[in-house]
Amino acid sequence: MLKALLGFVAGAVVVALVGWLMMPSLMFTERVSPFGMEETIARIQHNIEDNPALKAKGWALSGLRNPARAVQTDGGNVLPVMMIEVCSTKYSKPILKEDTVRFLSILMPCKVSVYKKQDGKVYIGTMNAGLMGKLFGSLVGDVMSQVAEDQKLFLVMDPSTPAPEMILPQAAPAAGGGGPGGGC
Amino acid sequence: MNNFERFAGLVVAAVFAATALGPARASSDPSPAPPAKAAAAAPGKPSTSTADHGKFKVLQQGFKSGPEVTKACLTCHTEAAHQVQGTQHWNWEFMNPKTNQRLGKKHVINNFCTAIPSNYEFCTACHVGYGWKDENFDFTAQENVDCLVCHDTTGTYRKLPGWAGHPVYQDTEFPPKSGKMVKAVNLADVAQKVGKTGRNNCGACHFYGGGGDAVKHGDIDSSLREPARYLDVHMAKDGLNFTCGDCHKTTGHAVSGSRYNPTAVDTAKHIRGKEDGNAAACQACHGHAPHKEKTRLNVHAEKIACQTCHVPEFARGGKPTKMLWDWSTAGKLKDGKPFKTKDSGGHDAYDSRKGDFKYETNVIPEYIWFNGQVDYTLRETKLDPTQVVHINKFNGSPDDGRSKIWPIKLFKGKQPYDVGSNQLIVFHTYGQDDSALWSNFNWDKAIEFGMKEIGAQYSGKYAFVETDMAWPITHMVAPKEDALACKQCHTAPGRLDKVPGIYMPGRSGNELLDMAGWSIAGLTLLGVLGHGAGRIVASRRSKGHQGGHP
Repeated sequence: MLKALLGFVAGAVVVALVGWLMMPSLMFTERVSPFGMEETIARIQHNIEDNPALKAKGWALSGLRNPARAVQTDGGNVLPVMMIEVCSTKYSKPILKEDTVRFLSILMPCKVSVYKKQDGKVYIGTMNAGLMGKLFGSLVGDVMSQVAEDQKLFLVMDPSTPAPEMILPQAAPAAGGGGPGGGC
Repeated sequence: MNNFERFAGLVVAAVFAATALGPARASSDPSPAPPAKAAAAAPGKPSTSTADHGKFKVLQQGFKSGPEVTKACLTCHTEAAHQVQGTQHWNWEFMNPKTNQRLGKKHVINNFCTAIPSNYEFCTACHVGYGWKDENFDFTAQENVDCLVCHDTTGTYRKLPGWAGHPVYQDTEFPPKSGKMVKAVNLADVAQKVGKTGRNNCGACHFYGGGGDAVKHGDIDSSLREPARYLDVHMAKDGLNFTCGDCHKTTGHAVSGSRYNPTAVDTAKHIRGKEDGNAAACQACHGHAPHKEKTRLNVHAEKIACQTCHVPEFARGGKPTKMLWDWSTAGKLKDGKPFKTKDSGGHDAYDSRKGDFKYETNVIPEYIWFNGQVDYTLRETKLDPTQVVHINKFNGSPDDGRSKIWPIKLFKGKQPYDVGSNQLIVFHTYGQDDSALWSNFNWDKAIEFGMKEIGAQYSGKYAFVETDMAWPITHMVAPKEDALACKQCHTAPGRLDKVPGIYMPGRSGNELLDMAGWSIAGLTLLGVLGHGAGRIVASRRSKGHQGGHP
């Protein structure tokens, strides 16, 4: 009996350890882009803006942030990083309406990160929305699984189509805010 | 704004540092004029001049041309023109003592705009002279020297491509049919406000080399006008605030520095203004053992140029540098008219006049062994069209005792060569005639004209060959905390993967040696486990044996 219990505990420890080690790669995804920084950003932006199916689901660009700029302002260098922010009220609304999961507003808007690494290649980083959603019950799980499906369409890279123009964020209104926002 | 416009609009000065003329009233002028936004030699540096050029009678006249101004300058600065006429900035010619190759813009064919013969009026917007429109230019006429281009402090002195080095004498629409007007230069005003050469004077040509901001060098662009510390610790306006001349020490109008014959390994103790004619190396100020705490790095510095670690990327100032120029696609027309396309960042991706381009920011350099000797593929050089032609080959090796690992920008191109002779071609790009490529988009005519201009034989058949050109990276020095960290090289893949002849822990490995090591480690582990298990078993047996025989 003691042996069985010890075996169970050891198994649980091993599973927990493996889970811990794999967590980052499960929760977030990273892929190499076949294009440069600007073209990668532009293609993702236009995948979102020009796809009628995504439009119908309310997706819209809500921002383009440059975290590297703050580092430069502080006197330091980092390789380029740009965050494409995108949101759909169709998905944000049910979560924001439900008190028990409103804290998930910290994940909004949905972000796609485009960055260069030391090997000179450009990478695309995203959150694994499907898996993450499952951690927060059926409501969030359902919403995030749909987000995950849509997210695949954001990242289609078709070299046969010409490079589109990058969409730069509009100036914020005088009263503040963060641009068009896509409803978020 | 396209490259041509940027280039044209901002061609204001060439690059030699000043010695002769004194600073003037404008150095305290708080409102520099657009568009170059040039002002004092270096922001924040007070004038120490003993002369106010505005008070000189000879400069208080209605100048009609640049040469008239030069004549006035020479009444006091009697030797200045002679001095300038002995420099590379005037002659565009350099005899390389190591290779005996005759180089300089006058002779070299690069893989940007390629060559100046037959295109003088356009290219000489960046010459420190007036009137170089063809091969008959008088290099001995003193009044042809352009003093203002290097000593203007107003930012209003503008030289446009197509004017053979002259400034704009009357309001001019430029580029033609663009609706944009370039104001005529007030020569008297500029002449009365001359001063010491500053980074804006040098930058007006060198920031825009290759036809646009940041295009050519990669580590020199307009972001260095007033750079923040992250971009360049030496030139940062709130830091050391170096001008170009602080390192490119200038004597008698001769500016130190040459990419034809650069210094790869500096061994002297005091280097600034040394006799090899090159600019100060890092060691001039920092010495040969600059790392006081991490002294291990000083050993690295014996084989690695400072720039390799301290310029981690180039084109970091937000201005993309051109990485590829494919001339072979030039000449396409839409509905009989030339056209342009833009890339995702809004930069030219295709231009009917010039072909395809690629731009990039924050570029990770290539790394090579370099000993300072550069061999050029000249017009006379026979090339192998099945191989990439190196416009300039940087020599070096891990074994020659003269080389260090250097960062470079490797600019790739495709340009025409003569199929009959297997030699590079000079072709005619700019001009109002029927043969200029940028007017008629006809390669045959452009090549025939260009080759005739230099008196070279042409077989009548051309094709395009892949080329590359190396540019040493030495500006845009990052703060020391942003230098490359150990793991950026000591890893696989790492920064120096393509550099041959070095063993690097963490990157290099021997498969057999690794296998032997791991085998020994594995066998040791097995031995320990086996031994432990044996001890446990033996202990139990011993206890069992004792229990059976009380």
